[in-house]
Amino acid sequence: MSGRKETVLDLAKFVDKGVQVKLTGGRQVTGTLKGYDQLLNLVLDEAVEFIRDADDPLKTTDQTRRLGLIVCRGTAVMLVSPTDGTDEIANPFLQPEGA
Amino acid sequence: MANNPSQLLPSELIDRCIGSKIWVIMKGDKELVGTLKGFDVYVNMVLEDVTEYEITAEGRRITKLDQILLNGNNIAILVPGGSPDPE
Repeated sequence: MSGRKETVLDLAKFVDKGVQVKLTGGRQVTGTLKGYDQLLNLVLDEAVEFIRDADDPLKTTDQTRRLGLIVCRGTAVMLVSPTDGTDEIANPFLQPEGA
Repeated sequence: MANNPSQLLPSELIDRCIGSKIWVIMKGDKELVGTLKGFDVYVNMVLEDVTEYEITAEGRRITKLDQILLNGNNIAILVPGGSPDPE
């Protein structure tokens, strides 16, 4: 084991758990992590993609489409986070109107 | 550290797709469906009988191609057997 560089992000604890993945280009998918490699290529099962906003590809909409079993290319992966314990909150930095 | 054998390696899954249909979603607004003939470490791939879908606000522009070498640089997602048409 010595000399073997350990990865910063240990995905082993996410296997068979729900994960959210953001990709370059604004794509966003969620699914169950089934496998991964050192280059951050991911295998997701029952994957669902959030459709991007037609006007702004960096925003996602509430629309989704089912993809099933997929491979996410490690070169495109920007963010991996578990869906368990993740909640979206309102943007606390938005100034109220007229402030 | 060693890979758990119960785990599914991404490269293994793509390898199992050789000879069958694969749906490739690019980082941009293009998607391709074709028969996977082969791929390399960069996941550049050779596809046959390809249908290219360009998703625009106006709808989908479809292009048919016999055989292509697709650069892996802009690939975001690979879906074995899938297609963008709703079932």
